[in-house]
Amino acid sequence: MEVFIEKENNVTTARFVGRLDTPASQEVSQSIEPILNDPTGTIVLDCKEMSYISSSGLRIFLTIRKAAAAKGGNVIVKDINNDIRQVFMMTGFLNLFEIQ
Amino acid sequence: MIKKILEKKKTWIQIAQVVLAAIILEAASFFQINLLVKSSRREAALKANSVLSTTEYEIRDVIDEAEQAVRSNMWIVQWCMDNPDSLMSVTRRIVEDTPSVVGSAVALVPGYNKDLPFFAPYAHSVNGEIEELSLATDKYNYPVHEWFIEPLETGMGCWSEPYMDTGGGNILMTTYSRPVNDPHNVTAAIMTADVSLEWLSQHVGKVNIYPQAFSILLSQKGKVLMGPADSLKMSFTVQDWEKSSFDQESFDKLKSEMLAGKRGVITLHTPTGITYVHYGPVSRTGWSMAVVIPDREVYKDVRRIGIICAILQILALAMLIYILFSVARSWMEYQQTKDIEEKMESELQIGRDIQMSMIPKPLPGREDLDIAAVIVPAKQVGGDLYDYYIRDNKLIFCIGDVSGKGVPASLVMTVTRSLFRNVSAQEDDPARIVTDINHSLMDNMSENEMFVTFFCGVLDLQNGLLRYCNAGHNAPFLLTDHIEELHVAPNLPLGVLEGMVYEGQETSLRYDDALYLYTDGVSEAEDPDHQLFGLERTEAVLHQRRSAQGHLDAMREAIEAFVQDAPQSDDITMLFIHYLNDNTQPAIMARHLILHNNIQQIPQLAEFVETIAEEKNLDQAMAMSLNLALEEAVTNVILYAYPDGIDGLVDIEAYIHDDCLEFIISDSGKPFDPTAAPEADVTLGVEERSIGGLGIYLVRNIMDTVSYRYENGKNILVMIKKI
Repeated sequence: MEVFIEKENNVTTARFVGRLDTPASQEVSQSIEPILNDPTGTIVLDCKEMSYISSSGLRIFLTIRKAAAAKGGNVIVKDINNDIRQVFMMTGFLNLFEIQ
Repeated sequence: MIKKILEKKKTWIQIAQVVLAAIILEAASFFQINLLVKSSRREAALKANSVLSTTEYEIRDVIDEAEQAVRSNMWIVQWCMDNPDSLMSVTRRIVEDTPSVVGSAVALVPGYNKDLPFFAPYAHSVNGEIEELSLATDKYNYPVHEWFIEPLETGMGCWSEPYMDTGGGNILMTTYSRPVNDPHNVTAAIMTADVSLEWLSQHVGKVNIYPQAFSILLSQKGKVLMGPADSLKMSFTVQDWEKSSFDQESFDKLKSEMLAGKRGVITLHTPTGITYVHYGPVSRTGWSMAVVIPDREVYKDVRRIGIICAILQILALAMLIYILFSVARSWMEYQQTKDIEEKMESELQIGRDIQMSMIPKPLPGREDLDIAAVIVPAKQVGGDLYDYYIRDNKLIFCIGDVSGKGVPASLVMTVTRSLFRNVSAQEDDPARIVTDINHSLMDNMSENEMFVTFFCGVLDLQNGLLRYCNAGHNAPFLLTDHIEELHVAPNLPLGVLEGMVYEGQETSLRYDDALYLYTDGVSEAEDPDHQLFGLERTEAVLHQRRSAQGHLDAMREAIEAFVQDAPQSDDITMLFIHYLNDNTQPAIMARHLILHNNIQQIPQLAEFVETIAEEKNLDQAMAMSLNLALEEAVTNVILYAYPDGIDGLVDIEAYIHDDCLEFIISDSGKPFDPTAAPEADVTLGVEERSIGGLGIYLVRNIMDTVSYRYENGKNILVMIKKI
């Protein structure tokens, strides 16, 4: 699992590539420190290349979402595949995020 | 054999019966002989009486003839009294005309004729010639003779006592003499007729009834007139007869009876046996006649017949006893043979029963398998066995042949079969089954030198994997698109080498493949010329396409046609297995994964799930769901079950059923029931949502059934997902 974070103007994009399973989540939780430190503007979580997400992955998304909410940031989840959408739906995450 | 027969009490009873039968038979015959003797005696009495009467008549005829001759010439004598010289011609005519009269005289009473005081002309026959002479000689002096005196005194005709006439005929004779009176009724002369006793005995009284029988004629005074040669002497009187060794009392009685002119029969006892004397008077003469018959004469023939009969009967009895013994002996021999046969038959039956009791029950009909087996016991049962059953969707089967025959082979067969059942109940590796059976058999069979050729197979009905192990048995035939012998390692038979480790082999059966197993009773079936049935004929039968049972029936028919009348020398046992499962997917597949309590091993779990998903052809969404559920469950264990720094294991088993997947996750960590943990509330907003609780929530949502139990120190979580 790799995470690529880019900041352009007011938009921070985190691109997730691979499987966001539990061990991956442990790594990712460190990779996303920059976002959590400045959760302002628009945060785009690009899931186009993410094939899998576990509950720990969901927790990372939720952590980002909570941090953004506290600072008035806006989180957009982008390009999730159908399988992951099912998981989002199952967990009520569809209601927590703006899905694009 | 005879000794043995005699030792039996029953035999003695039978011998006694035979002896009794012999006694009855002899008694009957004795009774019969006795009757014959009695009737012979009666017959003898009749004969004797008949002789008596006949003789009496004959004597009377002679007497009548003599008396008649005298009477009929009396008038001539009277008439010639004046001319005595013509009297000679009268006497001559009497002798000439009367055959029984040998001499005749006319003796004038002395003084009647003054001119001829003594005058007695006499004519008699000498050797057929008539001789004339005068009795009035000084030497003879006729007036003193009894024959002259008695009629002169009595005035009646009478018969003299027998006497030897020395003056006249010089023969033994008796004389009838009768006075002849003149017209003045004065006795003028005595007229006589002599009868020769020799002539008499020659012509009358022939007693030919028995060789030793004879008759005796007594005169009035007891002189013997006629009798056996020796008694024909003047001197032989009854007193002489008396000297014979008769018992005195009976003889005295006979004498007095006879002299009294009575008629009857008397029994005399002599040292040589009983003698019967029948007696009776001869009328007018005062004589008495007796017929003497020795008793042994009477039944001599009967006795001879009796003796012959007795001998014949004894011979017949001897033969009968011999036949009885022969029959008894052959009966005993037959019984013994029969006993031996029955004993053998029952032993054979026991062997057969043992063998047949071992035959497995037919399997319920299956679509993936057609199986048939048959065992045809020989008359002297061998130790063939076969067995098969299904466990864990595996067909476990065997076929074997115990060396030797009869009950011992049957017993070893039973042991082998029981071992097979016991060992294979917990073990499905044929090599280990065979090794274990061999080990147990060596314990049991160390003393006798039997061994068992054995083939054991385990066919996985799901995937057609056939694992097998051969212990010296004939290689089975493998029927695929062609027929070949299954390649088998030529291992030693069971019961030969202690501690032998058997190597297993394996092959794969595809749909429609078949296996034909047999014992050497099939391949070594012999025809009357001792040709073997052999493998080629076997193969020829297998070439036809048939059901399992059809193959066995056809094989039996082929063997029967081949051996014809030759007796079956060994058991014939066959097993035919036709594999008919064309589902290439296994019905149940087990996968197993063991992870350490290290979160970095989670990708292995992902691979594990991925493999299952591929095998089961699951879609991407399903695969991911399963992966997610398993990861959540396993992560839970990895992170929380064991204390930090302690190495622990997570055991993941997956069972792939036709319609569902079953996962069992177990660990030895602290007891924890994830199903009891509080669930995440997915309806809450961002601020209220907690970080935990999502994992178990996902597991519950993805899986159809989730259950937890704590067992034997293990947390066991069972999850089932329908597919």
